[in-house]
Amino acid sequence: MTAGEVLGVALLTLRVGFASTAMILLPGIALGRWLARTRSPARALVQTLVSLPMVLPPVAVGLVLLHLLSRRSPTGRALEALLGSPLLLTWWAAAIASAAMSFPLLVHGARQGFAAVPVRLERVASSLGAPASRVFLRVSLPLAARGILHGAVFAFARGLGEFGATTLVAGHVPGETETLALAIYARIERFEEGEAFLLAAVSAALAFSITAAAEVVLRRDRA
Amino acid sequence: MNAFELRARYPGFSLEASSAWTVPRAALFGASGSGKTTVLEAIAGARPEVAGPVTIRGRRVDGLTPRGRGVGWVPQDASLFPHLTVEENLAFAVFARGDRAAAGAAVEALEIGPLLRRRARDLSGGERQRVAIARALASRPDFLLLDEPLASIDRPLRARILPFLRALPDRTGAPMLLVTHDPLEVLALAEHVAVLENGRIVEEGDPRSVFSSAAAFGALHALGAENVFPVRVLARGEGIARLATPNGCALEMASLAGFPDPLRVAVRAEDILLATERPGGVSAQNVLAGEVLALEPLGAQVGVRIRAGGEVWLARVTTRAVESLALAAGRPVHMLVKAHAILPTA
Repeated sequence: MTAGEVLGVALLTLRVGFASTAMILLPGIALGRWLARTRSPARALVQTLVSLPMVLPPVAVGLVLLHLLSRRSPTGRALEALLGSPLLLTWWAAAIASAAMSFPLLVHGARQGFAAVPVRLERVASSLGAPASRVFLRVSLPLAARGILHGAVFAFARGLGEFGATTLVAGHVPGETETLALAIYARIERFEEGEAFLLAAVSAALAFSITAAAEVVLRRDRA
Repeated sequence: MNAFELRARYPGFSLEASSAWTVPRAALFGASGSGKTTVLEAIAGARPEVAGPVTIRGRRVDGLTPRGRGVGWVPQDASLFPHLTVEENLAFAVFARGDRAAAGAAVEALEIGPLLRRRARDLSGGERQRVAIARALASRPDFLLLDEPLASIDRPLRARILPFLRALPDRTGAPMLLVTHDPLEVLALAEHVAVLENGRIVEEGDPRSVFSSAAAFGALHALGAENVFPVRVLARGEGIARLATPNGCALEMASLAGFPDPLRVAVRAEDILLATERPGGVSAQNVLAGEVLALEPLGAQVGVRIRAGGEVWLARVTTRAVESLALAAGRPVHMLVKAHAILPTA
């Protein structure tokens, strides 16, 4: 593998990671806030459903996604009509698979973040005359930011390493869907152990950098 | 007209309190745990579980959000937005409903100008309370709800802020309801007082007449005290009486002629001093060895539950005192109580 090819795989992996995190950021924050504050009896059920991708085999999640994104399902046909081309076997499909697998981590972080915001502060903010949107943006969201950031970093990191669901919906198209995890697996299958180790080292470096950067940001935030 | 008729049930505590008043300065008075903060928060709209009508200046507000009630609510813990500076806390209120002039006047009167650029989380308890009052005023409320607004403010500053608070309803046109366990604050600030005990209003009216029956027993300060014990008088001496509680705790009280035997005595939680070693050469007549049972947050301060002399006591100290004395459950302590701090009560 040339340095350019390794770089290409790493950049594609990052692109998939960023896209998947961006896709789930807003719904993850909204759901985390709801779970932290609601007294609805549906809360336990929703929490369980959200956590499912963490306990299901990734290929099972991939199978569901494969069905949802394929032309055989209405969602797949609608998405294809919207985008003008099929989603399966594209990097977008890889990003969707990563998003589905990392969504529980983001929701969990956001839920923890919002649960740590005293309800009393939100009520005081409301008593001062602020509408709910301003209370959320100026009080709840900044105070929950640590939890959200924590969840987002772990979701991003989880997305980078996603394999099982991704391989089903994105296949293995070098240059198009070959993320680091898929590339390592392909090299192992071809007995190219040296290249597999090289890509694994790149994976480790990426994971280390992201976790370290998050740690620095969280520490600065705490100070 | 202002009125409430509130009902709620909690584990081990039920609230059933109603009151009505028309004067601009009113107070809810009672000991810790009597339910006065719950009533105030229900009026502010922060207790959805409390049922019953609430009328503020003739308008029914129950069922409305805190925003819809138009109240300026100052919780006991101040509830400043910790991630914002003092100035940003005030700006939040100005932007939402208030105006800069109201904020500026409050900053000046409450002497918080030098704090404006500091983060709320870095302020002391007293500073936080002053900023919270200023923030509520900056929102130009129709009605002010103040929960122990002077509790953490030192005495000289309190003496300066008291006249400011008293004049607020006249200056702003917003009536105020004050929660306190200090009868002197009630007398200084309110024209109407409702006395809460175990979630019920047991007496209400003009503060002087409400307190007069207790005052007849010389027990004004004892109202709202957290530690109350029935005692027997063992001996009366020169200006001092020796008492014993049912569990055998011996106490010395500044003697007041004509008190019945047995009687009840009360000690306010903040009148108890704590030491980790037995102090010598002190004027306090009561030094009791004991052990910390538990720490309980009491607004900006900490309640320390202590077993001493066979009785369970509640002392109120600052968070800093808890840290410097390393107070924790199981820690042996000595309690110091002046003979004058043991108050006869009705």
